[in-house]
Amino acid sequence: MAEAKPVDRSDATASAEDATRRLQRRIRMTQALLPVVLLLMLLGFAAAEPRVLSFGNLANVLQQASYLFVFALAQMCVIVTRGFDLSLGTNVSAVSVLSALTLTGLVGAEGNGVAVAIFAGLLVGLGFGALVGVFNGLVVAWLRVNPFIATLGSLNICLGVASMASDGRPVFNVPDAFSQIFYSGTILGVEMPIIYAAVIGIAMALMFSRTVLGRSLFLIGSNPRAAEVAGLPTRRYLTAAYVLAGALAAFGSLMLTARTGSGEPNLGGGLRLVGESIAAAVIGGVSLRGGVGGVEAALIGALFITVLSNGMNLVRVDGYIQMIVLGAVLIGAIFLDRFRRT
Amino acid sequence: MSGQNLTGLPGRPQYSMEQLTRAMLAVGLLPILLILTVVVMSIVEPKFYGIFNVLNVLRQSSFLAIVACGQMLVLIVGGLDLSVGAVVALTSSVMAKTMQAIGFVMPEAVGLTIFGGIMAGLGCGLGIGLLNGACVAFLRISPFMVTLGTLWIATGIGLLLTNGIPVYGMPDVFINDFGRALWFGIPTTVYVALGVVFLVVLLQRKTVLGRYLYAIGGNMQAATVSGVATTGYIIIAYVLCSMLASVSGILQTARLGSGQATMGGDLLMLESIAAAVIGGASLRGGIGRAEMVALSAVFLSILSNSMNLMRIDSKMQLVILGLILVAAVAIDELGKRRQIRG
Amino acid sequence: MMDGASGPAVAVERTAPAATAGPRLLELTGITKRFPGVVALDRVDFDLRPGEVHVLFGENGAGKSTLINIIAGTFPADEGSYVYDGREIRRLTPHQAREIGISPVFQEFSLVPDLTVVENLFLGRERTSFGFLSAAAMRQRAEEVIAELGFDLNPRAKIRELSRAHQQMVEIAKALLAEVRLLILDEPTASLTESETSKLFELIERLRGQGVGIIYVSHRMREIKQLADRITVLRDGKLVKTLDSQGVTENELVELMTGRKIDVLFPKIDHRPGEVGLKVQGLTTANHTVEDVDFVARAGEVTGVAGLVGCGKSELIRAIYGLEPLSAGTIEVFGQPMHHITPRKSLDRGVCYFPSDRVVEGLALTRPIRENASMAALDLPQFARLKILRQVSERRAIQEIVDRLRLRPPNIERVVQNLSGGNRQKVMLARGLTRETRLFLFDEPTVGIDVGAKIEVYELMKQLVEAGAAIVLVSSELPEVLHLSNRVYVMHRAHVVAELSGAEMTEQNVLASFFEGDRSIERKKRAQA
Repeated sequence: MAEAKPVDRSDATASAEDATRRLQRRIRMTQALLPVVLLLMLLGFAAAEPRVLSFGNLANVLQQASYLFVFALAQMCVIVTRGFDLSLGTNVSAVSVLSALTLTGLVGAEGNGVAVAIFAGLLVGLGFGALVGVFNGLVVAWLRVNPFIATLGSLNICLGVASMASDGRPVFNVPDAFSQIFYSGTILGVEMPIIYAAVIGIAMALMFSRTVLGRSLFLIGSNPRAAEVAGLPTRRYLTAAYVLAGALAAFGSLMLTARTGSGEPNLGGGLRLVGESIAAAVIGGVSLRGGVGGVEAALIGALFITVLSNGMNLVRVDGYIQMIVLGAVLIGAIFLDRFRRT
Repeated sequence: MSGQNLTGLPGRPQYSMEQLTRAMLAVGLLPILLILTVVVMSIVEPKFYGIFNVLNVLRQSSFLAIVACGQMLVLIVGGLDLSVGAVVALTSSVMAKTMQAIGFVMPEAVGLTIFGGIMAGLGCGLGIGLLNGACVAFLRISPFMVTLGTLWIATGIGLLLTNGIPVYGMPDVFINDFGRALWFGIPTTVYVALGVVFLVVLLQRKTVLGRYLYAIGGNMQAATVSGVATTGYIIIAYVLCSMLASVSGILQTARLGSGQATMGGDLLMLESIAAAVIGGASLRGGIGRAEMVALSAVFLSILSNSMNLMRIDSKMQLVILGLILVAAVAIDELGKRRQIRG
Repeated sequence: MMDGASGPAVAVERTAPAATAGPRLLELTGITKRFPGVVALDRVDFDLRPGEVHVLFGENGAGKSTLINIIAGTFPADEGSYVYDGREIRRLTPHQAREIGISPVFQEFSLVPDLTVVENLFLGRERTSFGFLSAAAMRQRAEEVIAELGFDLNPRAKIRELSRAHQQMVEIAKALLAEVRLLILDEPTASLTESETSKLFELIERLRGQGVGIIYVSHRMREIKQLADRITVLRDGKLVKTLDSQGVTENELVELMTGRKIDVLFPKIDHRPGEVGLKVQGLTTANHTVEDVDFVARAGEVTGVAGLVGCGKSELIRAIYGLEPLSAGTIEVFGQPMHHITPRKSLDRGVCYFPSDRVVEGLALTRPIRENASMAALDLPQFARLKILRQVSERRAIQEIVDRLRLRPPNIERVVQNLSGGNRQKVMLARGLTRETRLFLFDEPTVGIDVGAKIEVYELMKQLVEAGAAIVLVSSELPEVLHLSNRVYVMHRAHVVAELSGAEMTEQNVLASFFEGDRSIERKKRAQA
C-alpha cells in the first residue's frame, strides 16, 4: 500500500470537503438557533408581562418542564430507532390508576405501612409501564408490525386497563408521603420533580453515550439493515428501547400522580401528551428518520413547549388559541428542522 | 389481508387443506371474519336483528367508511392523516355556525342556508387538506408531524368558534328530512356512503388519478421519472381525505341536529386508520382498495355493536379492538414474509 | 475449453453506416453537476447524431448515470447548455423529455412493483376516454409492442412477480412505447441472457436504421465493439476523450477509463493457497436464487465469483454469512460446520461480509466514522466491557485502522453521510479489521468509488491474502475478478457452471460458460422432469 501513488486528488475531493465544511457550519448554526429562539420568546413574553421573568415563574417553568422532559426522553428512546410510542399517554393513565390503587390498598387505616406501600406502588407502576414496553417491543421487533399500529393497539389496551381498574373515577387518598417524595419535597431547596428529571437526564445521557445499548439504538435507527449485517442483536435492543420508553413514561406518571394527589384515569389525556412528547423531542432535534438525537434535544424541546404555553398563560391567551398556536409552531419547527440536515 | 394469491388457484376436483387455505387467502380473512361475526351474533343475540339495531349499525359504519376511504387514499401515497377526527369536529362547528348565521339574517332562505352551511363545511376540509398536502409535498415535512399540527389547529379553531357548546339553529328540513330521514327504510347516510365508496372505487380503478396514487406510493422515483407530477397528486390525496372527513362530519351533524366541536376526535381518527389497515391498506404505501376498507369499517362497527349487545364492558372492548388491530397486521406481515421466501 | 467463436451468435449486420458529420440531435456543453459532497460532473461536453450509437464508457461513479439523468430530465444540470434538435432546452422535466422523444431505460428500474406490466408501460401517459382509463386499448397496444420486441412477457403479471431479466424487458418496452428519437440504454444487458441480448441488439440496429440516436452505457468490450459508432470516456466526473470506435483496442479503452496502465491498476497478488477456509456443499437458498452450489475457498488466495447481475453470486456469499435463509446444503468455515448461521455467529467465527450496497446495508449514514467502524465489534473487550463502552480504547483502535486505510482526512468523528464513495468503502472495510477475521466476503467492493480508492482496496486485499486470509470476491466487473483471483467460479441462473484457473481465466471463457451453462441447466431440468 505504501507505494500507491497519490491519485489525482482533483477538484472532486477538494470541493467535497468544502461542501462538508459548509454543511457542518450550517448544522452548528441551526443547532444554536433554537436556544436563541427560546430566549427571544422568553424576552417577548416578558415585554408583555414582566412576571414571566420573575424567579417564581422561572422555577415554575422548570418544574413543569421536568415532566415533559421525562416523557420526551421516553419518546426519544424509540424515535431514534425510527419508531414512536403512541401508547405513552394511556400508559401514563393506567400506571397512575394502578399505582394509586396499590398505594391506597396497602396503607392501613392509621397510615401504617406507608413505606411498604410506596415501594409496592412504585414497583407496580414501573412494572406495568415496562410490561407495556415489552408488548410494544415484541410486536414491533419480532412480529415486525409498524410501530404506529403496534402502539396504537397498546394505546387501546392501556386505555381499557386504566378505565376498568378505576371504573372511570379518580383514585383518591394517595398518601401524603408519596406526594412528598415525588412532588412537594425539596433537596437543598430544589423541588423533587426537577431533581428526578436531572437524575434521569444524566442517566439517559450516559446510557446513550457510554453503553453498548445506547450506541446500538442510534446505529439501528440510522440503518436497521446495516446494524443487522454488522451482527448487532437488533431485535433485542429494539425491545429494550420500548421497555425503557414504557418504564420512563411510568416514572413520569408517578411524578404526575404525586402532583395531583390522586390516580387519574385520564392523566395522559388521549393523544395530547403523546403529541407533546413527540413534538418536544422532534423540535429539539431528534429525527423521526432515526439515528439522530440526544438528551439535550429532549431538554430544549421540553423547555421550548413549556415556555411557550407558560408565556401564553401569563399573557392570558385563550386556551383554544394556545392549541392553534401550538399546532402552527409544531409544523414550523419541524420545517426548520429540515434545514438542519439537508 | 386482501387476496394476493388469486392466480394460484388450481382447478382440480380433489380437496385438500392446502387448497382450502389458499381459497381463504384469495377471498381474504376479512369477509370470513365478518360472516362469522354475523352468524354467531344471530344465534346468540336475537336483538341483533332488531330494526333499530340494524339501522344503527348501518349508520355507524357509514360514518366510519367514508372517513376510512379518505384515510386509505393518504395511506396509499405513503402518508398518514391524524387530523381527520379534528376535521370532522371543525366541519360540524363551522357548518352549524354558518347555518345559524345565514338563518338569522335570512330566515326564509332555507335552501341557501343549507347550501351555504354545506359549502362552509366542505371548505374546512379543503383548507385543512391543502395545508396538510402542501406541507407534506412541498416542504417535505413528515406527514405524522404535519397532521398532528393540523389536528391541534383544527380542534382549536372548532373549540374557539363554539366555546365547546353545541350549536343549534340548523334548518329543520336539513335535520329531519335529511339527517335523520329514511329513504325506502334505509338511513340517508347509507346512500351517501355507498355513493362515496362507489366513487372512490371508480377513481382507483378507472381514472388516471387513482393509478398515479398507487404509483406514487409504490415507487415514488418511478412515478417521477415516468413524468407523474407527484407533488400535485400527493396534495390531491390529502385534500380528498380531508374533504371526505368533512362529508362524514356533515352527515353526523345532520343526524345529531347540532354542531359539536367534540365530534369525531382522536377516536374516529384511530378507528379510520384501523379500518383502513385491517382493510388491507399498507402503511408503507402503494396498496389499498376502497371496497375492502369499507367492508372493514362495517366489520368494526358490527363488532363493537355485538360487544355492546353482549354487554361486554366498553373498556374491555377497547382492549379487544387493540388486540385485533395488532393481530391483523401481524398476520398480514407474516403472510407477506412467507410469500417472499417462496 | 470452448473457443469464443462458437459462443452465442449475436453477430448482426449493421444496417446503417456509422454517421459521420451532419446535424446533431443532442449537444451538451460544459455540463456541471454537484451533489452534497461530490462534483458528479465537471464541465462535460457530449453530443449525439441521429442514427448513431454513442457509447458512454467509464467506471461506476465516473458520472455516466448523472449525465444520462440530466439528459432524461430527472434533475437539471447546475451549469452548461443543453441543445436538443437545435433548440436550447431549460428546466426539462421527465415528462417533457418523453414528449420530445427522449426515452431512458435506467438500470434502477422505474417500475412500480404492485402494478401490472401494462399499467407500468403506460405510467405517465395513460390512454383515456371521457376521463376514464381505456384498459382494453392499453392492453392491446402493450401486447403489440411486446410481440414486436419478441419478448416473452405476460402483460397482466405484476412487476413484483417478475424476474430481474423480465423487469428489464418491461423497462425497455416502456421506453419504446411512444415515438422515440433518442434512446438511452443504461447497461441493458446486465441481466439478460445471450438470446435476449441478441434480440435487443437486432432492435438497436433497427432503431438506428430509423434514425434514432442511441446513448448506450456499458463497460462490456464485446458489446461496445459490436455496437458503437463513437465512444465517450468519462473518469471521476470529467470528460477524458470522445473517439471513433474504429480501430480502438480494449487496452486503450481501459487505460482511458482508469487513467493508468492495467498492470498498475491491479496489483500482483502472490497467491499461496493453504488450508480450506470455506467449504460449501449442495447449497440451495430458500428462495432458489442459489441452487446446489459446491464451492471451496482457501486461505492465502482470492477466490473469484463471476456472473451476470442477478445470477445468484451475491446471494451465495450472503447465504454463507447468514443473510439468506437456506433450504439445503452444508457450510464449513475452517473445518467447522456452521448451523443456523446469523451474522453474529459468522463474525464470531472470523467471517466478515462487506455488502455491495453501502447505503442500504453497509453504513449508518447519520453516525460518525468511529461508530460505523466499531459497529461489528462491540462485543469485544477492547471496545466494551460489561456492555459499557471503552471510548478511549475505541478511539485509539479505530484511529489506527483508519490511518492504515489512509482515510483522508483522518478525522474519525466525521459523519459518514458527508464522505465520498471511496472513503465510505474504507469505513466499511475498517469493520473487517476491528476483529480477528480469517475469511473476507467482498460483494462488489469497488462499485461507485474512484480509481484511487479502488487501487487502495485492491492493495488491502493483497495485504490480507498475503497475510494468510481467505478472500471471496464477488464482482460483476470481469477484469477485476479475472485479474485479482487465483481461481474463478462462474455462476449462471443460480448454478455454478464453471470453475476456471490459471490460463483458463479469460473473458471469452467466462462468457462461453454462460452458454454452456444454459444447456446443462436445461438438460438437468429435463432429466428431473
